[in-house]
Amino acid sequence: MVDVSDTAMPSVEGGTVVAALRARFGDAILHHEVQAGDEHVVFILASRNVEILRWLKEDPDHRYDLLQDITGVDYGGGRPIQVVYQLWSITHRRSLRVKAELPLDALEIDSATTIWAAANWLEREAYDMFGVHFVGHPDLRRILMPDNYAEGHPLRKDFPLRGRFSRAEQTRRALDFSLEDFYTPADLELAGLRPHADALNPPAEGKDAGAAAAGDGEAADGAPDGASR
Amino acid sequence: MGLEGRGGEAERSGVVPGAPTFLTTRLDYVINWARRSSLWPMPFGTACCAIEMMASAASKYDLARFGMERMSFSPRQADLLICAGRVTYKMAPVLRRIWDQMPQPKWAISMGACASSGGVFDVYSMVQGIDTIIPVDVYVPGCPPRPEGLIYGILMVHEKIKRESITNPELRKKLRFEDESIVARPNKPADVIEEIAQPFGNSTKQNRVSGLVSTRPRSRPADRKP
Repeated sequence: MVDVSDTAMPSVEGGTVVAALRARFGDAILHHEVQAGDEHVVFILASRNVEILRWLKEDPDHRYDLLQDITGVDYGGGRPIQVVYQLWSITHRRSLRVKAELPLDALEIDSATTIWAAANWLEREAYDMFGVHFVGHPDLRRILMPDNYAEGHPLRKDFPLRGRFSRAEQTRRALDFSLEDFYTPADLELAGLRPHADALNPPAEGKDAGAAAAGDGEAADGAPDGASR
Repeated sequence: MGLEGRGGEAERSGVVPGAPTFLTTRLDYVINWARRSSLWPMPFGTACCAIEMMASAASKYDLARFGMERMSFSPRQADLLICAGRVTYKMAPVLRRIWDQMPQPKWAISMGACASSGGVFDVYSMVQGIDTIIPVDVYVPGCPPRPEGLIYGILMVHEKIKRESITNPELRKKLRFEDESIVARPNKPADVIEEIAQPFGNSTKQNRVSGLVSTRPRSRPADRKP
């Protein structure tokens, strides 16, 4: 059970988080704003984001265990792009917004996928829309735009509303797709649109282990049969 | 001349002793009658227009009246593509592929402002009118169109089918692209796409693009005469 006193005064409680962050991380906490009455926004040093976020999740007094969103904000005019982490503590019913600012010429920040699995697709979206590179992300691909999209990152302020290419070129590129741009090889194999890897490369002696590991039924069945005879 | 033997109280009531048990007609008429009376729609519903399309198929508006109650969720068993809703460039190859998979003869309805012209979504990610992707027979305006609008569009397709002839391959070519070299290619040359994709471009040029002359509202009741 949660103590009622924990939830009664969210702004005060949010303030204690900020104080605790300052006490623990010192210079890594750049500044702090309160928006819309009781929404605490903490600006942190981008180079120490994983350390701070992990503490916020794991410290028993705070437990921001739900990552609601990761997004970017581009205010234009050459100002740095902000990476925003919107956190929610299920235990204490509190929210916290953590922001890290990245200069336009160094859009790199460590990935939070090791802390929250939910960060995977959220970081892909931030990468797709803003071009922020999340170092250490297991699969940093575009998620909304097609993989062969070559016009840039659409939510940046310097991105023209109708895109960079002409409409005819956009149409041509959209139709001039290859299935590999949209699906992984495993998906294509499932759909029967690509021959099984074994059919492409007849298994040599050394590849039996690989085929069995890939979960291919025939190869897995064949080996015990041969052994029993 | 059309289907003979429709007149007369006796024939309408059924087979009359002594009446002829055959009729003569034109082959084109029978074929066109069969094609237009049992169009199987391929619903390509991507947005709110699809809700109105579903309403059209439901009991109140009842597309079954036109032999269209079988929504065919498989393009190979469909002959009328109803594109209802906005189409993104990421979805464009899907739409094109579904159209290419449909067997001839086939027709397409572009339902609503977004499918017809991009609508309010004049942005980097949206196809500015599906006629840049596939050939469209009838554009239904509206945001979304009411079921009456969609049904009127379907009746316009019926009119178009009535004008076809199996003995006239030129008409067939004109009414529907059958050139295999355009499979999975844009439906229009680049300069035409540029022109109709301009802001408000498509909304003023669709009659020309579809190959139809402008149909003014006043002349429309006459279109429906058999």
